[in-house]
Amino acid sequence: MKVIEIKDLHKIYNSTEVKVHAVNGVTLDFQEAEFAAIVGPSGSGKTTLLNLLGGLDLPTSGQILIDSVDLSKLKPSALIDFRMKNIGFVFQSYNLIPVLTAKENVEFIMSLQKWTKQNRNERTYELLKAVGLSDRENSRPAKMSGGQQQRVAVARALASRPKFILADEPTANLDTKSAESLLDIMVKLNREEEMTFIFSTHDVRVMKRARRVITLEDGKVVSDETREK
Amino acid sequence: MITAIAWKNVWRNKTRSLTVIAAVTVGVFAGVFSMAAINSSILQRIDAAVNEELSHIQVNNKDFRSSADIQNIINDYPEVVSVFESTPGVTDVTGRLIVRGIASTATKSAGVEITGIDVEKEKKMFTISEKLIPGTGSYFEAETKFNTVFIGEKLAKELNIIRYIFTPGSIDFLREEGVPSTVIEKLETLQGERFTSDKKLVKAYEKLLAPSEVEKYQWKIKEAAWSYREGSKLILSFLDINNNQTGAAFRISGIFRTNNDMFEEICLFVSIEELRQLTGMKEGTYHRAIARLEDNDITNSVTREIRQKLTDYEVLNWKEIQPDLAMISDFIGQIYAVFMVIILAALAFGIVNTMLMAVLERTRELGMLMAVGMNRRKIFIMIMLESIFLSIVGGFAGMAVSEIVIAITGKTGINLMKYSEGMEAIGYSAHLFPTIDAQFFITTTILIVLTGIISSIYPARKALKLNPVEAIRTE
Repeated sequence: MKVIEIKDLHKIYNSTEVKVHAVNGVTLDFQEAEFAAIVGPSGSGKTTLLNLLGGLDLPTSGQILIDSVDLSKLKPSALIDFRMKNIGFVFQSYNLIPVLTAKENVEFIMSLQKWTKQNRNERTYELLKAVGLSDRENSRPAKMSGGQQQRVAVARALASRPKFILADEPTANLDTKSAESLLDIMVKLNREEEMTFIFSTHDVRVMKRARRVITLEDGKVVSDETREK
Repeated sequence: MITAIAWKNVWRNKTRSLTVIAAVTVGVFAGVFSMAAINSSILQRIDAAVNEELSHIQVNNKDFRSSADIQNIINDYPEVVSVFESTPGVTDVTGRLIVRGIASTATKSAGVEITGIDVEKEKKMFTISEKLIPGTGSYFEAETKFNTVFIGEKLAKELNIIRYIFTPGSIDFLREEGVPSTVIEKLETLQGERFTSDKKLVKAYEKLLAPSEVEKYQWKIKEAAWSYREGSKLILSFLDINNNQTGAAFRISGIFRTNNDMFEEICLFVSIEELRQLTGMKEGTYHRAIARLEDNDITNSVTREIRQKLTDYEVLNWKEIQPDLAMISDFIGQIYAVFMVIILAALAFGIVNTMLMAVLERTRELGMLMAVGMNRRKIFIMIMLESIFLSIVGGFAGMAVSEIVIAITGKTGINLMKYSEGMEAIGYSAHLFPTIDAQFFITTTILIVLTGIISSIYPARKALKLNPVEAIRTE
């Protein structure tokens, strides 16, 4: 079942003297429970494509349909609401809220969605257990390693049961052991929760684990390879 | 959750937040305490004017104030008393005879206003009897065949009735008061000397002492050398009912000290019977009827009512007799407003500055919050709450410190004796007892919260203008 449909997507930046065609006619589909990596050299348009998919940026032309909803047709407030309910984000720099504990960081999105306290507690416990941090629920980000913080970020992204997770270079700041451990968790969650993961990455460790690798160059898809794992 | 995050964000940079809170606390304290000190000064002056000098309402013959003529009496005093007594809010009424004359001693003389009073009634209506300087006699209680007079300290000094003499007793007094022996040794050279005025005494000890010693011990030195011979006499001269010069010797019953030099210098009190006898004025004649009210707040309304009933007389309340005092009393609201504007402007600038820095520092985090679905309204509320928390914590700390300091200094007082000469010359006490009413605290609290809200708008709007994509990329 298709979760995302991208049709002839273009993104052109006019802000500089030189026109930059960051995404140039991309057409792609993502199915439910995919584990896909978008790869390519710097400036190939990976992050721009991810921002467009996440509704953080608007395309110059083309369409992004998520469960048949055209993102470009949504009003800004509806788009924010749509993002909150349907898309989970994992950032390269973790971006946890430093004043909140691991548990509170995971709960945060659910409280924005007005989940009951009991439901929040159950889901938080379940996710922190899944990412192997049930013993660190009361730790603040500053007291955790980079790998642990990124695991909390993954738990936070999954908290409200979004349709898919967008992860921008999630392992870029991690050492090998932490990166492998994080990938193990994401693979497991992908299987157990049937959650779609889409990464932008340079990291060969991520590429190796991905079941689909989409390669971008100059904003265009130059290869789209699906592997059986 | 937003409230909890906002509160935690306030304490994210403890040093900065505490600095802002401390600045707000000091600002609020400085404003509120200054206001309390000014307020107390004005209230003490009004209190003194009403309770020592004027009372609430006075009724005179219409020509009495413009002319010094002894003939300008209240034509129907019983009618005036009856009107007062039938007016709700009036608690006491008394009559006075007032003549202008000259007070003289062997060495000096001064122009004075001699007020003949019903001693017992006035003791109940005014607090001047409580202003008696200990050791100078009593408030008309001396058993003597002489006429007696109750005079102010300033007049007593002016007439050389009070003088300064350094006796062995003065030196002992200074020792008992803990003045260092080095200072006492210097002052011993003044033993036996007499000074007929403050200025002469000051000049003498300033030559002997270091400025810091003068600053520290001047009041004790004055107190030690202060000298008055009980039972001193003065001569009062004035015109009688037939415009003939008359007068008599008066023994000083006691000397009073107020905070109003002019009042002390001009006004002296004698028994109304003695003055009536000396002036030859008939029994039951008065120049002035004075009424006291149960509450100062009803002064204007009662004055209006009395004025309607006593159209043949001049009816004045204390605000009309001393319009400068009334103006200051009314002006106090505007002084409040000016102080509040200064306090709140400082508060607002502090909050805006801090919150702008906070928004700038947290650009990436705010971008993340927008990306994961926190809408603009919630981000606005979060920044606003942070500003409000900062202002409330600082504001309430400032109010608490003010409340404590005002409570303490309200009991102990603030001694501004250094400036007493200037302050008392215009009738203000140099010993302030700061006070502020609850209404001021409530208003200030509300205004602090409102300032917090208003000053959060600009930083919050800045946060809303962030583009999540760019904000997330910020280092």
